[in-house]
Amino acid sequence: MVRRIEDYYSGVWNDWCPGCGNFGILSSMYRAFAELDLPLDKVVVVSGIGCSGKTPHFIKVNGVHTLHGRAIPFATGIKLSNPDLTVVVNGGDGDLLGIGAGHFVALGRRNLDITVILHNNTVYGLTKGQASPTLKKGLKPKSLPKPNIQDSLNPIALAITSGYSFVARGYSMMVEHLKDLIKKALQHKGAALIEVLQPCITYDNIHTPEYYRKRIYKLEEIGWDPVARNPEEDMEKIVKAVMKSMENDEKIPIGVFYQNMYKESFEKRIEMRIPSYLENPPAKQKIDEEGRPIIDEEMFKKLFSQYIVEVKK
Amino acid sequence: MGVFMMRDELSFIIGGPQGAGIETSATILTYALAYCGIGVISDREYFSNIKGRHSYVHFEISSKTIPQYFTYPVQILASLDHETIFTHYEDLEDGGVLIYDVDVNERSLQNTLSMEEALRNNLSRRFREIGLDGSVKSVVEYLSRERNVNIIPISFSNTIKDIVEKTTLPASQLARYVSSIIIGAIASVLALPLDSIKFALEKRFADKPELVANNELIINTVYEFVKNIGGRVFSLSPPIHEHRELIVVSGNDVIAMAKIVAGLRYQSYYPITPAADESFTLESYERIEIDGHEYGSIIVFQTEDEISAINSAIGAALTGVRSSTSTSGPGFSLMVEGLGWAGMNETPIVITYYQRGGPSTGLPTRGGQSDLLFSLYASHGEFSRIIIASGDHLEAFYDTIEAFNLAERYQLPVIHLVDKFLANSIVSMPLPNFSEIEIERGKLVKDSIDGYKRFNLSHPISPRAPIGSKNISWYTGDEHDEFGHICEDPENREKMYRKRMEKLKIADEEIPQEKRLTYFGLEDADLLLVGWGFTKGVAVEAARRLTREGLRTAYLNIKMFSPFPSKLAKKILNKFDDEKIVAVEHNYSAQASKIIQLNTGIAITRKILKYTGRPIHLNELIDGVKKIVGGLREVVLVHGP
Repeated sequence: MVRRIEDYYSGVWNDWCPGCGNFGILSSMYRAFAELDLPLDKVVVVSGIGCSGKTPHFIKVNGVHTLHGRAIPFATGIKLSNPDLTVVVNGGDGDLLGIGAGHFVALGRRNLDITVILHNNTVYGLTKGQASPTLKKGLKPKSLPKPNIQDSLNPIALAITSGYSFVARGYSMMVEHLKDLIKKALQHKGAALIEVLQPCITYDNIHTPEYYRKRIYKLEEIGWDPVARNPEEDMEKIVKAVMKSMENDEKIPIGVFYQNMYKESFEKRIEMRIPSYLENPPAKQKIDEEGRPIIDEEMFKKLFSQYIVEVKK
Repeated sequence: MGVFMMRDELSFIIGGPQGAGIETSATILTYALAYCGIGVISDREYFSNIKGRHSYVHFEISSKTIPQYFTYPVQILASLDHETIFTHYEDLEDGGVLIYDVDVNERSLQNTLSMEEALRNNLSRRFREIGLDGSVKSVVEYLSRERNVNIIPISFSNTIKDIVEKTTLPASQLARYVSSIIIGAIASVLALPLDSIKFALEKRFADKPELVANNELIINTVYEFVKNIGGRVFSLSPPIHEHRELIVVSGNDVIAMAKIVAGLRYQSYYPITPAADESFTLESYERIEIDGHEYGSIIVFQTEDEISAINSAIGAALTGVRSSTSTSGPGFSLMVEGLGWAGMNETPIVITYYQRGGPSTGLPTRGGQSDLLFSLYASHGEFSRIIIASGDHLEAFYDTIEAFNLAERYQLPVIHLVDKFLANSIVSMPLPNFSEIEIERGKLVKDSIDGYKRFNLSHPISPRAPIGSKNISWYTGDEHDEFGHICEDPENREKMYRKRMEKLKIADEEIPQEKRLTYFGLEDADLLLVGWGFTKGVAVEAARRLTREGLRTAYLNIKMFSPFPSKLAKKILNKFDDEKIVAVEHNYSAQASKIIQLNTGIAITRKILKYTGRPIHLNELIDGVKKIVGGLREVVLVHGP
């Protein structure tokens, strides 16, 4: 069965600002899902809070709209219990890198097979444009009363050094390119980050489509090879990718910065301990026999023999 | 030969520096006692410290029953160090037994810097009053002279030296076995058969025969040595209970076992005392393997914080697996936002909440019951939740399974309230009755439903299709429509809100009130103690003993606080006059009595409270009740180092 883009439309009316960068991200997701022909009931889109948080409602796959900053923990529980599911996280820059930064880092450490789409518009849109962790120091988008005095952080460098094994950047206005990145990330086995640059047309008069149009170029056009195929070349790829991610003033690269092809996913690490895990994960297990626990008294005594003392006659 | 004293029950304390093997000794003795059919409960008291601070285990043993309380004074004090003698010498019964290391005779209170200053100053004053110079020797002589205590002096260093001569073990290694000296001495004073000790060692060090052999050698040597000294022997009468098998288990472990039986498949946690041991135990059983066959597996997942713990557990629950997290107060504080999401999204999730002394870091390794109101009201907004509190280990086993059943039946978060007292006390417990155990998964659907609506409004409890089954569902922390999409329509809001709230009403109608509280004692008692959680054991025993003394006392134990068994509680409470009802709780404000008042309109005005982080002891509770009967409205208990 080949699914069409429209098959992924939920029919829920979209209330993002007209012209919002989120539309480009949503479009790219529809297209990526359709091109990969993902079964609707085997995909879960998990989001946090903010404009990006509404994303799951617009897609006809399972949607979990969670708490501010916490999409990754929810997604982690879903993926670990049912590794057959394709799990995508959509979160804003404030959500994933501010309140949720601890979880963002933790996902990298685990390399769990989840794709994180970071909607980076440098502001907290839904609360009227406060500075986000990606807004550079000294900038004052029109929503801010005073220029920002906190340094910005670099999501690409943070993801790479946290252990994400697929790290890319896209641009919301380049849907075809972004769709390809999302497809690659979904096909990658391990934690994937796609930072998506996205103008907030209502609150940010600095990072406009015009601003990005002048600066953006594609890494693939300069012959960038992001792939670390073995541990020997990994260090070099990491250092190069991190350095490349520092380039963000006059020129802004998009594309895949770094991809590690050999690092084992968290699912594989669990499988080392529980060999049956991928075949029979928690979500597929039966836990009762007609309302009785699988473990009966005799089995209980065997399982916990260490604790059981037979009283001497 | 010693002087034999036959007893049904007794208490003893083993004390020493944290990290010296006290916990292992306690487990070995519990195995040995259980093997002999003796009922045991032991309370472990320790500081938030890895090595060096004073810790002790308070044992209560009985050949009549499995004790559920702790009492003072104790009949035996076994000390690994001088600090134990200083700290506990007053707790020893006149005519009791002191086991101690003569090598610490010259150690003085003044130089015991590991002891907290407040206690040191108090003891200093006390020693001056009774004319002691502050040395161990002076305290030991005092106990022998004034308190008729039978002193069992053992030179730990000489014992080790003697054994070095008998084995090939280097002395440096043997130093690690000093806690076995204590085991040998206690076994001797209790006249435990040596085969019980051998059994216990083999149980504890299952795959390490050399540890069994070395410990056995020390224990047997000391056992004989103490026997040859003579003196008092507290011999226990033959056991009269019926149990052929006993489970030697801590509260943490019994809950882990119950979760495995309940079908738990996902447990997330962030390390915290006194909850983390449960998750460690679960992890060691992550593959549920019996006779070479795997019956399932559990993901036990250490998260980056408690926020992630609860939220990933909720995520797991959305896929239809039984999922839980275990924590204590500071962790639960962080989990509260997630709790609200679970309430809003009608997600079955179990939170095992081990209370400790708060607020803030509080008393991280001590017990308390001060989080009842918090667990009932935590989160902004309103939603249904179930709160169950367990009174002892066996109850905790059944309640854990019930928590999962209720969570799935009513599709809501269940908070299972236990505490440090339960978590860290080791008991010899009878086997649970498996014929009573059911697994009820509620309205869990796996087949495809046309136009599936996760929050179908036709009944407060909607069919629940797990994510990954054939139905697509949406969830959101926002108010939502039947599909789970954001919806602020006032009419929908009212219906959804009521749907969530009415589930508790249904639970209240369906869960029998008799299962939510228990009344212990005579129907026509004159005085009623009211409590919950770990207070149960001591309160039941206090009521029994007071009744025996002529003060006809009963105890009402509340197990479920939400939905609260209002009708039955009211019926019972109404039989007693105001001044005849006494709240017994491990907190300052008698939190359960506030919930009782809220639900029944009956105000409990008499209170016995303890919030030092140490358990309420039987002796002080009995005294406290007598003071209340004598006219006091409130008694605050403080006993126990």
